[in-house]
Amino acid sequence: MIDGTRTRPLLEVQSLTKRFPLTRGVIFAHSRGAVHAVEDVTFTVARGRTLGIVGESGSGKSTTARMIARLIDPTSGTIAVDGTDITRLVGADLRTLRQQVQMVFQDAYGSLNPRQTAGQIVGAPLRVHHVPGDRRAHVAGLLERVGLNPEHAARYPHEFSGGQRQRIGIARALALSPTLMILDEPVSALDVSVQAHVLNLLTDLQDEHGITYVVISHDLGVIRHLADRVAVIYLGRIVELADAAAITAPRHPYTAALVSAAPAQPGTGTGTTRQRIVLTGDAPSAITLPTGCAFHARCPKARLISGDPHRVPERCRSERPPLGPDADGRQLACWYPLESGDDLIGAAQAMAIPVSGAQA
Amino acid sequence: MSPPLLEIDDLTVHFPSAAGPVRAVDGLSLSLERGQTLGVVGESGSGKTVTFLAAMRLLERSRPEIHGRILLDGVDVLTLPAREMREIRGPRIGMIFQDPLSALHPLLRVGDQIAETVRAHRDVGRRDAWAQSVAALAQVGIPNADERARQYPHQLSGGMRQRVMIAMALILEPDLLIADAPTTALDTTVEAQILGIIDDLRTRLGIGVVLVSHSLATVADVADTVAVMYAGRAVERGPCQAVFAHPSHPYTWGLLDTVPALGAERSRLVPIPGSPPSLIDPPPGCRFAPRCAYRFDACTRHLPELVERGGGHADACVLPVPGRGARRNRLEPPGEEAAA
Ligand SMILES: Nc1ncnc2c1ncn2[C@@H]1O[C@H](COP(=O)(O)OP(=O)(O)OP(=O)(O)O)[C@@H](O)[C@H]1O
Ligand SMILES: Nc1ncnc2c1ncn2[C@@H]1O[C@H](COP(=O)(O)OP(=O)(O)OP(=O)(O)O)[C@@H](O)[C@H]1O
Ligand code: SF4
Ligand SMILES: [Mg+2]
Ligand SMILES: [Mg+2]
Repeated sequence: MIDGTRTRPLLEVQSLTKRFPLTRGVIFAHSRGAVHAVEDVTFTVARGRTLGIVGESGSGKSTTARMIARLIDPTSGTIAVDGTDITRLVGADLRTLRQQVQMVFQDAYGSLNPRQTAGQIVGAPLRVHHVPGDRRAHVAGLLERVGLNPEHAARYPHEFSGGQRQRIGIARALALSPTLMILDEPVSALDVSVQAHVLNLLTDLQDEHGITYVVISHDLGVIRHLADRVAVIYLGRIVELADAAAITAPRHPYTAALVSAAPAQPGTGTGTTRQRIVLTGDAPSAITLPTGCAFHARCPKARLISGDPHRVPERCRSERPPLGPDADGRQLACWYPLESGDDLIGAAQAMAIPVSGAQA
Repeated sequence: MSPPLLEIDDLTVHFPSAAGPVRAVDGLSLSLERGQTLGVVGESGSGKTVTFLAAMRLLERSRPEIHGRILLDGVDVLTLPAREMREIRGPRIGMIFQDPLSALHPLLRVGDQIAETVRAHRDVGRRDAWAQSVAALAQVGIPNADERARQYPHQLSGGMRQRVMIAMALILEPDLLIADAPTTALDTTVEAQILGIIDDLRTRLGIGVVLVSHSLATVADVADTVAVMYAGRAVERGPCQAVFAHPSHPYTWGLLDTVPALGAERSRLVPIPGSPPSLIDPPPGCRFAPRCAYRFDACTRHLPELVERGGGHADACVLPVPGRGARRNRLEPPGEEAAA
């Protein structure tokens, strides 16, 4: 291995874009525009580190994940794993990649073959890639690591609970000791204790084997726990990219709304009088992209700047803010990032009052 | 006095398997009043989904052995003929399924699936049903709903599929809504919006809501009463406030102590030690005993029943109540290895 590759990020994603054409009609399918799922996404993840991805439902997180795992092809852009552009790999090279890069799918149910037992599913990668050794014992060990019992190996997917199916998917992804794991909502169906167990397992594997993770989760606590850096996606684009520790002090108004909406944990004694930034206005569409900043129709900060709950600055409406570093090195795409003292909650509340409405 | 909207009485659901029956639900009792929200939390694999699939009578394919009663407005749904059950599923009991892909037809446009649900239970024309379907999709926050209604499930994001299912369950405004982990694929802002819609139905129409969730925070936020499940049984139940402020079962303590907090450092999490019990050959006595840091002889002697401790708060633990003040500090590891 050349010296330089050690310091080079394990994963480099450059200008990644994916559009799904919208078609109607079966025989004479005609295109009617496209879903802009992922637009010009760029990031890197260092070896042995974890990037967290959060963002609104439908913002392109799973699509990004599926492109990195080479399950779908990008419309444009490149993805380099260990210095090799994987977007054009074929044959033996692609096979090697499939061994190195494993994915845990958001929909566990849809990702498990209903006609195979849990044991067969978890053992399949070992079989396909001709891994030597006692496969049965290996599978039993993997099931145990994710907190399943040996009695589960002979059961079919529909005979499991949602969280058990999710763990079968995790065990399968771990089977080949990958160098890069893409985890799409890996613990969303687990109770907090099993979740803690799985999160600890992931951290241990990273410490022992230097695995690199990309973790998608809507649970900011999970992201905060696993990730070193966090990318916040809104409508296909990264709007904020920062150290995980900084996520509790967001600078992009959308991130602020996301963080403020996280429900307070019971028993911790914190956040009983939680202040939530309630987003009003329709979520923007990936089919007819808004002009300017994609968040402008719902952005409370833009209202603070204009001084009118029903107006946004011209710039937010017409010019798309580019992603660039702020003074602290955090990447941001916003014309008017949050400053301390900004009353976003108040601004969001004012937006909720209709134009003709009286005082609430 | 009218009966509760939902009353589950000593329910057991055992699935046949080569190694012996799987005791997925084993003596569960719960109840829910109209206009209230019951939060159901607990271990992965503890029988939450199976319980409510039994109430929907959707388990028949797996040929389980079911005992006990599930009363909807005093009528035992387990004894109803299949034809009557079809009238109940949808308009009377609506269910948001945990796995959207299992509930949606892969080859039908999502708008048609919702429209068909409407037409199956209401006397409306094709066009009208389609319009209602699009409106329902828009209501759950799906942008460009008219365009999205024409797409197939695989063309939507995970959270959009989940919202399609939510729209489908809500559109008939059921008396009882069972929401089985309804927001697992939704970001916090959309989650808040969906919970708001459900809560609005509850207050406006007085429907009863069962919210199954792993998010203790969400449950604490919206539920009136809570049931905590472990290995097929309720180990604690009561008013939400009481259960979260003064949890009285060691399993609940364990759950509350493991949550990864948003503000926390990247410290090691402390899960409940040991692993979940086999449901084929469950441990004797309290099913949590092998993992419980507080257990003593009596725990393994017989299976504790739920005992009311006042104010509707009940737990199934044989520890003397005063002694529970000595609940361990959350970061202190249990003194002894839990025996397997
Ligand atoms: N058809 C079946 N045959 C055998 N066992 C089953 C079947 N369906 C479910 N089980 C078992 O019954 C138990 C309860 O499952 P259930 O789906 O109700 O769990 P759950 O509490 O909903 O868990 P989760 O939080 O993971 O969704 C599980 O241990 C599961 O493995
Ligand atoms: N196969 C496909 N065909 C057409 N459109 C698709 C396809 N897959 C995804 N999309 C669209 O791409 C966009 C992004 O979807 P994606 O699944 O990446 O979102 P996500 O961020 O993972 O959302 P969620 O949090 O809800 O899972 C959505 O508008 C979705 O409808
Ligand atoms: S660019 Fe304007 S509209 Fe967009 S997030 Fe920043 S302030 Fe809000
Ligand atoms: Mg997704
Ligand atoms: Mg379940």
